[in-house]
Amino acid sequence: MSAANKPIDIKKSVIDAVLAGLISLIVFGPIVGVVLDGYSFNLQPARVGWLVAIVMVGRFAMSLFMQTPKGLKILHGFESTGSGVHVLAPDYKSRLRWIIPALIVIAIVFPFFANKYILTVVILGLIYVLLGLGLNIVVGLAGLLDLGYVAFYAIGAYGLALGYQYLGLGFWTVLPLSALAAGLAGCLLGFPVLRMHGDYLAIVTLGFGEIIRLVLNNWLSFTGGPNGMPVPSPTFFGLEFGRRAKEGGVPFHEFFGLEYNPNIKFLFIYIVLFLVVLLVLYIKHRLTRMPVGRAWEALREDEIACRSMGLNHVLVKLSAFTIGASTAGLAGVFFASYQGFVNPSSFTFFESALILAIVVLGGMGSTVGVVIAAFVLTVAPELLRTFSEYRVLLFGVLMVVMMIWRPRGLIRISRTGVTPRKGVAP
Amino acid sequence: MSQTFYKKGFLALAVSAALGVSAFAQADIKFGVAGPMTGANASFGEQYMRGAQAAADEINAKGGVNGEKIVLVKGDDACEPKQAVAVANRMVDQDKVAGVVGHFCSSSTIPASEVYSDAGVIAITPGSTNPAVTERGLSAMFRMCGRDDQQGIVAGDYIVDVLKGKKVAVLHDKDTYGQGLADATKAQLTKRGVTPVLYEGLTRGEKDFSAVVTKIRAAGADIVYFGGLHPEAGPLVRQLREQGLKDVKFMSDDGIVTDELVTTAGGPQYVDGVYMTFGADPRMLPESKAVVEQFRKSGYEPEGYTLYAYASVQTLAAAFNGAKSDKGEDAAKWLKANAVKTVMGEKTWDAKGDLKVSDYVVYQWDKDGKYHQLEKQK
Amino acid sequence: MDGIFLQQLINGLTLGSVYGLIAIGYTMVYGIIGMINFAHGEVYMISAYLAAISLALLAYFGIESFPLLILGTLVFTVVVTGIYGWVIERVAYKPLRNSTRLAPLISAIGISLILQNYAQISQGAKQQGVPTLLAGALKVDIGTGFVQLTYTKIFILIAAFAGMAVLTYIIKYTKLGRMCRATQQDRKMASILGINTDRVISYVFIIGAAMAALAGVLITMNYGTFDFYAGFVIGIKAFTAAVLGGIGSLPGAMLGGIILGISESLFSGLINSDYKDVFSFSLLVLILIFRPQGLLGRPLVAKV
Repeated sequence: MSAANKPIDIKKSVIDAVLAGLISLIVFGPIVGVVLDGYSFNLQPARVGWLVAIVMVGRFAMSLFMQTPKGLKILHGFESTGSGVHVLAPDYKSRLRWIIPALIVIAIVFPFFANKYILTVVILGLIYVLLGLGLNIVVGLAGLLDLGYVAFYAIGAYGLALGYQYLGLGFWTVLPLSALAAGLAGCLLGFPVLRMHGDYLAIVTLGFGEIIRLVLNNWLSFTGGPNGMPVPSPTFFGLEFGRRAKEGGVPFHEFFGLEYNPNIKFLFIYIVLFLVVLLVLYIKHRLTRMPVGRAWEALREDEIACRSMGLNHVLVKLSAFTIGASTAGLAGVFFASYQGFVNPSSFTFFESALILAIVVLGGMGSTVGVVIAAFVLTVAPELLRTFSEYRVLLFGVLMVVMMIWRPRGLIRISRTGVTPRKGVAP
Repeated sequence: MSQTFYKKGFLALAVSAALGVSAFAQADIKFGVAGPMTGANASFGEQYMRGAQAAADEINAKGGVNGEKIVLVKGDDACEPKQAVAVANRMVDQDKVAGVVGHFCSSSTIPASEVYSDAGVIAITPGSTNPAVTERGLSAMFRMCGRDDQQGIVAGDYIVDVLKGKKVAVLHDKDTYGQGLADATKAQLTKRGVTPVLYEGLTRGEKDFSAVVTKIRAAGADIVYFGGLHPEAGPLVRQLREQGLKDVKFMSDDGIVTDELVTTAGGPQYVDGVYMTFGADPRMLPESKAVVEQFRKSGYEPEGYTLYAYASVQTLAAAFNGAKSDKGEDAAKWLKANAVKTVMGEKTWDAKGDLKVSDYVVYQWDKDGKYHQLEKQK
Repeated sequence: MDGIFLQQLINGLTLGSVYGLIAIGYTMVYGIIGMINFAHGEVYMISAYLAAISLALLAYFGIESFPLLILGTLVFTVVVTGIYGWVIERVAYKPLRNSTRLAPLISAIGISLILQNYAQISQGAKQQGVPTLLAGALKVDIGTGFVQLTYTKIFILIAAFAGMAVLTYIIKYTKLGRMCRATQQDRKMASILGINTDRVISYVFIIGAAMAALAGVLITMNYGTFDFYAGFVIGIKAFTAAVLGGIGSLPGAMLGGIILGISESLFSGLINSDYKDVFSFSLLVLILIFRPQGLLGRPLVAKV
C-alpha cells in the first residue's frame, strides 16, 4: 500500500488503517494469539495476523468510503437527533396499510407449508411478540425502565405448572388466571418502586426478577427447584393431543379419526397464540389512543409537567406496570405449554435483556417495530445455527450493528397530526 | 421514505426465514449430537463431539449403518431448556436425524426427549444422570451412564463404610444434576444412620465460597460431599484448604472428572486426596485400548464423556444395524432385547432404557493431579 | 467466641472490596454519561484472561520472584484492559452518544455477548486458572477458635484500598480529575468552557476498565480460576453495589461493595446460603425505598 502519488485522502485512510491495525494488534494479540493451556500456553500468531489484516482492510475501506459524498451523508445521519414522537401530515396515509392484512394472510397460510421445527420457531417468535408488546407499554410508552420483566413471564409459566400440579387446572383456566396473577404482581411491585426514578427503578426491577427466579430455584418442595415441573398440553374441548391420552380419555387424533401427528399440538398452540396476539395487538392499539395511553406518553416525556397538570402519576404508572405484566403472564402460559416443561433457567436476567432489546430495537413505543424485532431476534439465532460456535458472537454483533444503524429502533413512533378546523385561529 | 424500504426488507427477511426450508438429499443416515457447544459447560459439548466424530469415522470406515454413511449433526443447547427444545425440533424436522446422542444437562435432556419421543426418534444420553430422564415412560430414551440414585448410593455407602464419616456436610450447586445427586447421597446417608450436619446450595458461576467454608468449619464436619461440576468444586476445595481445614475429606461426583479440576483448584496440591464417584474409567478397559491410543495420537486425551459419546454412537449404529431398519422405534426395541459391544465393554439396557449394570466406583486424586480408581469395595 | 463470626466478616470484606473495585467502573460511566455499561462485567472477565496470559508469559521468560510477577502482570493487564475499554467505547457507544438513553444499553448487551464468545472461541471453552503465587496464611488464635487469613487475601485488601486511594487522588486533585468532575456535573457547560468532553468520556471508560483490570488480577490471584462466563454474575453484583452506594459516587461504590459482600457472607454464614442473593437484593430494594438515591448518592433534583 504505497501512498506516494495518491491524493491526500488516501493517505489519511492509510494512517487510519495502520492505527487500527496497531490497536487491534494490542487488543487481539494476547487473547487470540496466546492460548492458555493449563498453566502454560500455545502461540497462535497466524490467527492474530488474519484478524489484524481484516481490521486494517476494513478500516481502510471504511475510511475511504466515509470520504465519498455518500459516506459523508451517512456520517451526518449520526448527528441528527430529534426526540419524541414524529408527527405526520394530517392526511398522511401509511403505505403500510396493506401490511397487516398481508401478515394475517401469511400467518394463516404458512402452517400448511411449515414443518414442526419452523412452526416451533414461529411460536417462539410470537411469544416474544407478546413479551415485547407488554414491555413496550412499560418501557416504550410509560418510559419506566424495567429490567426484571422476566419475573412476570415466570409467574405465568409457573402459574400453569403449579396450577396443574396442585389444583388440577388446565391450560384454558390458567390462561386468564395467569394474566391476572402476573398483573397483580406487577401492581404490587409497582407500589413501592414508584418513588424511584429512572435507573434506580431499573435495578430494583432487576432485583425483583432475580428474587423470583431464586425462589423458584430454591423452593424445592413446592416448585421442583432446578428440576422444573412438567406442564400439561393444552386440550381441545377436553381432548388431548398426545399419542396416548394421559388420563384415560380419547386423544384428539382418535376422536377425529386422524393419524397421529405430533405437529397438531404445536399447530393448536400456534392458532390460539396467534389469536391472542391479534387480540393483544388490538387492545394495545386502542389503549394508545385512549386517555390512559396518552397519559403514559406524556409522563414519559415530562413527569413534572404532567403532575402539575393534575395527572395522577401513581395511577398512570401502576396501570402501565399492571397491563405490561399481565401480557407477560399470558406469554408465560404459552411458553410453558409449548415447552411442556418449565424450570428456572428459562427466566434469567439475560431473558429480560433480550426482551428489552426487542423493544428498543423495534423502536420504543412502536407496535409494528416490536413485532418485527421480536421475529428478528428469535429467528436470527436459529438462522445462525449454521455458524455453530460463532452463533452467539454474530448475534451480539447483530445487536450492536443494528443499534448503531438505527439508534431509534427499526420503526420510529409516529402519529398522524390534526388540522385545526377552518376559521379557528391557529 | 426510506423507512418503508426497511420495513419491507425486514418483512422479507422474516418471511424468507420462516419459509426458507431446504430439503436436502437423504443418502446418509444422520445422527444428532446435542449438548452445550457454547456457554459455561461447553467443554463437555466438545468431549461429546470429539467422541462421536471418532466413532462415526470408525464405523463409516467399516461400512456404515445398513450400508449408509453416518453423518453427524451438531446441535447446541447451551444447557438451556428453551434452546434444547428448539434444537430437538430442528434435528427431528429439519435434519431428519435417525438417532440422537445427547443432551448433557438433565434439564435439557428432559424436555428434548419429549420431542424425540413424539417423533419416534431414538435418543441416548452419554451424561444425563437424573432419574427423571428415563422415568417418564418414554420408549426410545436410553442412557449410556448410570443414574444419580445409583451414584448417590455408592457415594453414601463409601462415606459410611470406608471413610467412617460421622459429621458430613452435603453441598450442591442448585442445579438439576448436582442437587439430584446431593439429595440421593443425603438419602443414602440418612438411611445408613448418618444425618448430614449441613445441607446447602452454592450458586453456579460464583467463585467465592468462603462463607460456606467457614460454616462447614463451624459445623465441625469431617467430610464434605459436593454434588456439582468442577467449576465450583475446584474453588470450593481450595478455599476449604486455605481456611485451614486440611483434614476434612472432600468427595464429589462424575461432574468433576476432567483434568480442569486441577486448574480450577489452583494447583495439584489442592486436589490431593479428593474422592469422587464415576463409572469405571473406560480408558482402563481392554476394549478401549486401541481407540484411546488413536485419540492420544491425534493429541487429544479422551477424558470425561468422550468415550461415553463414542460408545453412544456405536450403540445407535448397532441398534439400527441389528434392527435392519432406519426407524427409531425398531432400533429401540432391538436395543432392549440385545447386548451391544461398545468401547466401554458389553452393555445391556432394561425396559426403561437404563443400563442394567451400573458400575460406579470411587476414585481418588493424587498429589500430581491425576485420578486413580480405588480398590473396589465389598 | 471461636472466631467464626470474625472469619465471616473478613470473608465478606475481601469479597466486598472486589465488588467495589468493579462497581467503580459502573458508577463512573453512569455518572458521566448516564448509561449502565452492561459490558463492564465482561471487561473484568477479559482482564482475568489477560492476567493469566501475562503470568504464563512471565513464567516462560523465567521470572519467578513474586513482586516482579505481580508488577508485570498488573501493568500489562491494566494497560491492555484500558485499551479494551477505549475501543469498546469508540466502537459501540460513541456513535450512539446523541441518541436515546436506552440505545447504548442494548449495544452494551451486544458487546457483552461478543466479548463472552470472543473469549470462548479464542481461548477454548474450558476453565482457566493461574497457579498459586502467594502460598501460606496468617493464623490468629481467638479464644477457643482461630481466624485464618491467606496472604493473598491480605494482599487483595491492601491492593484494593491502594487502588481506591490512587483513584480518589486522581479524581480530586489532578487536572484530569477536575475535567471528569466538570463533565459529570454539566457536560454542555464543560464543553463550552473548553473541555474536550468526548475525550473525557474516553478517559472515564479507560479508568473504569483499569479498575476492573485491577480487580481481575486480584480475583484471579485469590480464586485461581475463571472462565469466559465469569463476568456475568460478578457484573450484576457489582452493579448492585454501585446502586446501593449511590450511583455516580466513588466512595459509594466501595461502600456498597463492602456492604453487599459482608451481608452476603453473614447471611449465608448465619442463616442459609441458598437465599443469600434473595437477601442481598431485598436489602437493596429496602434501602432504595427509604433512600432512593442510594447511600452516598446525591438526591436527584428534578429540574424544570
